[in-house]
Amino acid sequence: MYHIALKMLLGNRSKYIVLVSGITFSTLLMTQQCAIFCGLMLWTTGSIQNMRSKIWVTDPKVEQVNEVRQLRDTDVGRVRSVEGTAWAVPLFWGLQQAKLADGTFKQIQLVGLESATLVGRPYDVVAGRIEDVRLPNAVVIDELAIIRLSAGRAKPIGLGDTFEINDREARVVGICRTAKSFFGMPYIFTTYDQALQFAPKTRKMLSFILAEPAEGWTAEATARSIERATGLRAYTENDFFWATIRWYFRNTGIPMSFGITILLGFAVGVAVSGQTFYTFVLENLKHLGALKAMGASDGLLARMLILQALTVGFIGYGLGIGLTSLFGSLVLKKGEPPFMLPYQVPLGALAVVLFICIFAALLGIRQIRKLEPAIVFRG
Amino acid sequence: MAENKNNYAVHVRGVSKTFGAGTTAVTALKSVNFDAREGELLMIVGPSGCGKTTLLSTIAGTLQFDAGEIDVFGSALQKMSKSQTTAFRRQNIGFIFQEFHLIPTLSAVENVSVPMLINGASRAAAEKKAHALLAQVGLEGRGHELPTSLSGGQQQRVAIARALVHEPRLIICDEPTSALDKENGARTMELLQQVARAPGRCVVVVTHDNRIFKYADRMTEMEDGRIARVHEIKDGQSPEFIPN
Ligand SMILES: Nc1ncnc2c1ncn2[C@@H]1O[C@H](COP(=O)(O)OP(=O)(O)OP(=O)(O)O)[C@@H](O)[C@H]1O
Ligand SMILES: [Mg+2]
Repeated sequence: MYHIALKMLLGNRSKYIVLVSGITFSTLLMTQQCAIFCGLMLWTTGSIQNMRSKIWVTDPKVEQVNEVRQLRDTDVGRVRSVEGTAWAVPLFWGLQQAKLADGTFKQIQLVGLESATLVGRPYDVVAGRIEDVRLPNAVVIDELAIIRLSAGRAKPIGLGDTFEINDREARVVGICRTAKSFFGMPYIFTTYDQALQFAPKTRKMLSFILAEPAEGWTAEATARSIERATGLRAYTENDFFWATIRWYFRNTGIPMSFGITILLGFAVGVAVSGQTFYTFVLENLKHLGALKAMGASDGLLARMLILQALTVGFIGYGLGIGLTSLFGSLVLKKGEPPFMLPYQVPLGALAVVLFICIFAALLGIRQIRKLEPAIVFRG
Repeated sequence: MAENKNNYAVHVRGVSKTFGAGTTAVTALKSVNFDAREGELLMIVGPSGCGKTTLLSTIAGTLQFDAGEIDVFGSALQKMSKSQTTAFRRQNIGFIFQEFHLIPTLSAVENVSVPMLINGASRAAAEKKAHALLAQVGLEGRGHELPTSLSGGQQQRVAIARALVHEPRLIICDEPTSALDKENGARTMELLQQVARAPGRCVVVVTHDNRIFKYADRMTEMEDGRIARVHEIKDGQSPEFIPN
């Protein structure tokens, strides 16, 4: 009987198309919005991804990576002397003004790396050498900077070119790839000491301390040890990542606005597909009644409905995920809007789609159970 | 199935059925006694609202009745549970409806194969048998057409094939010719007559259509929820009375 069930479904071409497109659209809306949301959340942790460090030491009040509260220079030494710490280095991070060849200004994210070790250095240098940032006024810029800082030049900014950061000349000695950040500004890497020269003088200039656990210590244990000994906050890389994402969840309207769109996707799925499937069942009630009169059990008819609903669900879901992936591959090539599709998203969407289908089928099954086979003799 | 007494296909004793309750209650069957024999085509006639469809539905096991006994080829319907009744219909009853009730998105063969599929036959076996039955009702080679591309008479013949495909012993027909013209009505009845004459079978037809009375072996006349008269009909002769 199952091929009969499928024929009954596919034979009603227009209903079938509405059903499948409802699920497709719903899946697309839910997964695509989730992926943009995840991408955006990932962007908030851009600095953590770009300056890999097992331990981040911050001011006790700092809750996430994009929030900088300067530390004292002496804090580096205090952290170094904590038991369980192999080494600790200062990191400068700050938003600064770059002056372009045409006289306009652009914001940049200036990163100062401790010059002896260059801990926190970009891991994907595509031109020049990261070691050259130790040269006077030298900087390594990311690929986004080439786009942003090239205004007023005959050809895009490249190795050996100069621009100004806060009225000081900066010379490009390398180009690297970085993960996008929430602020969407280019990363400019230099040494810690030179960063202090580029940035306007303030009383405290140290943004973060990057530390490494000693041999035999986990990052977690070292972080706790640093906190106990110094009263500073010490995050493992993983903790800092999730703390940052949690912070944006709690303190911005981003989850809410995405949540609304995702709910809308769900509502479309229920309203369009659930409704259409239900009317499909109602329109077929006459035939289902005839099948029931001919001796089809409620169980058989229920299984036929579930098969129909799941067929629509899986096809619609497949198309929806396909469209989201297509969107994703186009977007990732372009770099924006943000996009990340962790496996939990399609899995969750599948669960939601199955829920919609089963729900619709159950509504239909209820009708079938109520159906009196005797109605087949009534006009 | 239990031993079949007196060659009765259907044996109804004291069956009553009331729809609704209180002031709106309608008693459609009032202690009806009724028989149909093996090998006969029995017609049930009578004025509109006299309870013909209700009686047919109780015999077919699609409608529960309040009191009395119904025996169909040795099976006592009043003793069956709901799922036993469903299984009984599946195995023993062939249905022919006024509106044909063919599923519009299925081809003729698929429509005909449905009762066998419901009985658990494989698709291949069901469709093979369906083709054979379509040939029997004069629709050889038209099995792949959808019901909408067939005429009303052809659709009813598909429905007859469907009613016979699982070899039920009792064929139940409610107004099988009222949606058909004279010629197609006659063709349908000739087929049903052949079916009834096959051994171990019985065809019960409810009808208003006096053009087909001559196909009956016997005719049961109902009035107001009761059996009023039973007429034996001699071969090929129209009965002299015309109900309504
Ligand atoms: N499901 C029902 N609910 C309430 N009353 C019903 C129901 N089915 C039938 N009746 C009533 O029972 C009586 C007999 O109906 P039935 O359909 O058996 O008559 P019929 O002889 O088949 O009539 P017709 O020739 O018009 O088809 C009628 O008064 C009808 O209104
Ligand atoms: Mg009737």
